[in-house]
Amino acid sequence: MILEPIPPRILSVRRIPNADPAVLAAYGADPTRHRSLGLITVDQDDPTYVALDEATKHAPVDVVFARSFYAGAAHGSGPISGEILGVLAASDPDEIDEGLAALIRCLEHDACFYGADESKKTPVFPHVIASLGHYLSAQAGVAPGTSMAYLVAPPMEGAIALDAALKAADVRAAKIFPPPTETNFTAAWLVGSLVDCQAAAEAYCETVVRVAANPRER
Amino acid sequence: MSHTRTLVEALRKRLGGAAPLPPPAPTPRIPEPPVRVFPRRNEKTAYAKEAATHTTALLGIGHVGTRYATDVVLQFQAELAVAHGAVAHELAPDFAARNALLPLESRVADHRQFLLRPDLGRRLSDESVHRLRAGATKSPDVQPILADGLSAVACEGSGMALLHAFTRACERRGLTVGTPVCARYARVWLEDEIGEIVGAKVAAILLGERPGLGTGDGLSAYLVYEPKLGKTDGDRNMMSNIHARGTPPEVAGDRLAVLAKAMVDQRTSGVSLDLSGLVAELGEAASRAPRAPQERVRLVEVDR
Repeated sequence: MILEPIPPRILSVRRIPNADPAVLAAYGADPTRHRSLGLITVDQDDPTYVALDEATKHAPVDVVFARSFYAGAAHGSGPISGEILGVLAASDPDEIDEGLAALIRCLEHDACFYGADESKKTPVFPHVIASLGHYLSAQAGVAPGTSMAYLVAPPMEGAIALDAALKAADVRAAKIFPPPTETNFTAAWLVGSLVDCQAAAEAYCETVVRVAANPRER
Repeated sequence: MSHTRTLVEALRKRLGGAAPLPPPAPTPRIPEPPVRVFPRRNEKTAYAKEAATHTTALLGIGHVGTRYATDVVLQFQAELAVAHGAVAHELAPDFAARNALLPLESRVADHRQFLLRPDLGRRLSDESVHRLRAGATKSPDVQPILADGLSAVACEGSGMALLHAFTRACERRGLTVGTPVCARYARVWLEDEIGEIVGAKVAAILLGERPGLGTGDGLSAYLVYEPKLGKTDGDRNMMSNIHARGTPPEVAGDRLAVLAKAMVDQRTSGVSLDLSGLVAELGEAASRAPRAPQERVRLVEVDR
């Protein structure tokens, strides 16, 4: 069966209620505003970026650090390294708790890769965000509350599918990440109205499936 | 609800898959909110405890993280809605006629303009000036004015009770009371022009006060000696929170009459009026001591 979900695995979740200013500064937090950190590692990076953004919608937290690790989860430095380290910062540990709860909820119920072929060897991430929080909106240079299609696939599938997505709906490419990225995928952030983002994501996903099934036209 | 899941499900169907997507992990049950916490008293220090007993302000209501508890927010919103409703309410046009009062209007054209232009609410319309000249008794000791102010709800609710109590109390003290009038779209300073036209010694305007949290039904009264255009707030004596949970209209009427009598006797009002001899009659209104301990009484009760 194609398009089976590949659920992300949360490998570690830890808090630092009262972090040392040097640690705060090193991970991009502002010691004058932030005091507590929440750290998470996951074996899928893009669902985590989405979930970190989700956290900013549920609690007054800032995403101060979010970086993918080179070559992905299969080459992690340790058993709980995964593919990404995300760090939330806030003025109060209670806010971190709220943010982490929203983050985990999003990873468990919403954001995940899907297998574009029977063997799940071609992951695709055709994710629609109805309303951006202040992390991804700032990264994409759009207003919070904008709708976004967050699209990820391997390089060849991603290139063909991105073209199809942009032609399928009235969307604008806010940012395109050509390969190679840290994890060797290719990604694109398309913005527009919610229905347009949905149509673009659907066209993207369908094209990835078709390219995976028929990689050589000649 | 996941938009992505919906679209992947539709796409799977279109691409020939019959089986539905495997169900997502079950959502954990959302815990019940904590039991009613308002008005929770959890002052941490003796000072805070003492301070909270002397005010109806929202002190010592606790917090959840850095936010208010849900109950406190709901209560706040309910009380704010009462205040909004009171400001939005307009005095019925036939209110004066039904209560046999002389109807007057300010220069304001409609309710929106009333809220935006306080200056127009402080002057009588030309028509009202004629009506007042023709219909009102001249040179009374006290000219009572009932008005809507910022809460027509309060005016319609306890306005007549306060007017009657005030009139009776004045007559008991040997003051002559002028023709009772009712002003629509009125601000406090309208009493200056009305009092000047009838030649009253004291003008008293009783009007709905700017609603606060949980008090949409409060009346205020402003008294001024020798009313004429140009009097300032320093020339006035006022009394606020005239409602069932504050000073009831019957008690307030008496105290206002004491004030009016003092003004006529001392030939002044406002800052220069000496209230030191009237502590017995005015009660806490004339005293400078801290307010007696009190409980906050809720105007609206939030269901849960």
